[in-house]
Amino acid sequence: MFSEEKLSTYLNRAKLLSNVNSEKKIKVAILGSFTLNGLEETIRVKCGNKKIQCSTYVAGYNQYNQEILNEKSGLYKFSSDMTFLIIDTRSVLNKLFFNPYSISVEDRKQFVKTKSDEIINLAKIFVNQTKSKLILSNFVIPTYSPYEINEAREEFGLQDMVRALNQNIKTELGHDPKIYLHDLNSFVTKFGENNVFDYKQFFYGDIKISLNHIPYLAEEFMGYVKAVLGLNKKCIVLDLDNTLWGGIVGEDGFEGIKLGDDPIGRAFVDFQRNLLALNQRGIILAINSKNNFDDTIEIIRKHPNMILKEDNFACFRINWNDKVVNMEEISEELNIGLDSIVFFDDDPINRYYMKTALPQVLTVELSDSSSYSQTLKSMNDFQMLKITNEDTKRSKMYLDQRKRTEFQKHVGNLQDFLKQLNISVKIKKADEYTIPRISQLTLKTNQFNLTTRRYQEEDIRKFVSDENKLVECAQIQDKFGDNGITGVYIINKENQEEWLIDTFLLSCRVMGRGVEEALLSQIIERAKMKGVKKIKARYIKTKKNKPAENFLSNFGFTQNGDIWIFETKKPIKKPEYLVIS
Amino acid sequence: MSKKLFEIISRVMNIQISQINDDSGSESIKEWDSFNMYVLLNDIEKEFNIKFSLEETLEIKNVGDFKKQLEKHGVNLNE
Repeated sequence: MFSEEKLSTYLNRAKLLSNVNSEKKIKVAILGSFTLNGLEETIRVKCGNKKIQCSTYVAGYNQYNQEILNEKSGLYKFSSDMTFLIIDTRSVLNKLFFNPYSISVEDRKQFVKTKSDEIINLAKIFVNQTKSKLILSNFVIPTYSPYEINEAREEFGLQDMVRALNQNIKTELGHDPKIYLHDLNSFVTKFGENNVFDYKQFFYGDIKISLNHIPYLAEEFMGYVKAVLGLNKKCIVLDLDNTLWGGIVGEDGFEGIKLGDDPIGRAFVDFQRNLLALNQRGIILAINSKNNFDDTIEIIRKHPNMILKEDNFACFRINWNDKVVNMEEISEELNIGLDSIVFFDDDPINRYYMKTALPQVLTVELSDSSSYSQTLKSMNDFQMLKITNEDTKRSKMYLDQRKRTEFQKHVGNLQDFLKQLNISVKIKKADEYTIPRISQLTLKTNQFNLTTRRYQEEDIRKFVSDENKLVECAQIQDKFGDNGITGVYIINKENQEEWLIDTFLLSCRVMGRGVEEALLSQIIERAKMKGVKKIKARYIKTKKNKPAENFLSNFGFTQNGDIWIFETKKPIKKPEYLVIS
Repeated sequence: MSKKLFEIISRVMNIQISQINDDSGSESIKEWDSFNMYVLLNDIEKEFNIKFSLEETLEIKNVGDFKKQLEKHGVNLNE
């Protein structure tokens, strides 16, 4: 388990923070029912380490009610992107925390109902008045009851009350797109109540999460920050020997490697099971290993205890080439930026080499193989704000892609390949089913993205209700499978004669197959039918969107300052091999 | 050990070691607010591997008080 720095180290670093190299910005507000000093400094430092410029607002001690209920409060003036609200069990239960059995079962139920409603109401008021996401921590279930071993016999006892409180909140708020429920109870379980709650600090300064644990809590909150900013990792690249199984294929052979029913083998099976679960949720897996391809692929295909199968991997680099070169090739083949890749390798020299050569890749520090699973599970880099249908299908899509690449090698000529792919593009309106995915694509598409404007779900909803905007997405299929919704555009109908393309993006999975031209030409054709004369667009250059750089000029747009214009009377080139519906 | 104490204070309060003496405390050092005091207590307890009682904690107002309490817990500051 990784060990955090001291709080005092963060406090000092916070004083030295400079935002010179920051690439992203975020505004974070913290509201709590007790002393949370040090949390905002730690979050700012952790953001700084990720090149995020973070500004914070910390509400006064136990001021969360006033801050939320008063429309003119500092909280609303600050206008945060995300707001953390932590209320502790003691302050909510008050005297009942000590002896809930001083009142009747009915009164306890009524009490919990009233408190749940208060908190639910407060959360709803807040998210209705701001653009901020709310991250609401749940209540920690007390481990002590005055009824001790009889606690479980009591109807709606102390622990039941807190569980009910958490459940009511989850039922009411769990599906709200602007609210995330943070599992503070699990945080305390993970580190232990006796460690997290320090009585001396509590009596001394109403500190309910000990100073030693503030950095761990901040780290947990960083998972939300990274998700909101779309900094989540998409792909895990793995070494093989002593990473996916114990031992070395070249020396120990098929029979000799450890994978299965011995202490070392069990650790690797467990690690593989955790990787499989992430893969099924949409995290891409790939192999980067110095080995004989034939020997190792035989293990992947035939070893009875391999949990991960050949089809779980989107890409293989099993050869004697340089691992850094392999990594660059994997990034290119999968069309996934190096900064979206996590690298697992047991060899510290390989790790050092990767870290130095490709610092964008997150190379994970590993120690003993028994800790691999724990290390993987303690990472907060795979968090996504929402897991969509596309995510759970992603692994299959990358597998299809691998087969597509093999097919392309077989066909040779690109035009012939595209013709034989039988691509079909289905245009869909933004609606309740597609809005989460549309927002997700705007948040994370970096390469084929003309303007890289990031929109949360609420933004997209607002656009949909605006009759001067057109928000649509495209589902792309071909003979190898369904790529899902992988294209988005947002048009501002500025007036009768001019439309402006606010957003036009395509997931890297489907880039370069004529889909981009097909989408743009159908937009222009529709505009023309409505009498629109000019289509305007912008290319806003970023570090990553080079693939979209020449798209507008190649299509026939002409540049006028920073605006690109297409006169709809001009003929449109569109790929004939695509079917649009 | 006196040096170690001064180093911790210097780090937590973000001041030079040369600025610290036995009378240094909340009155003479502006960074020495109540929160930094908790942080300081926490770091000193950790690094000297001792636990102050709540009463002892409340008696500490300055560096000299820290020394007294540390000696009481068997830390030899003259080493």
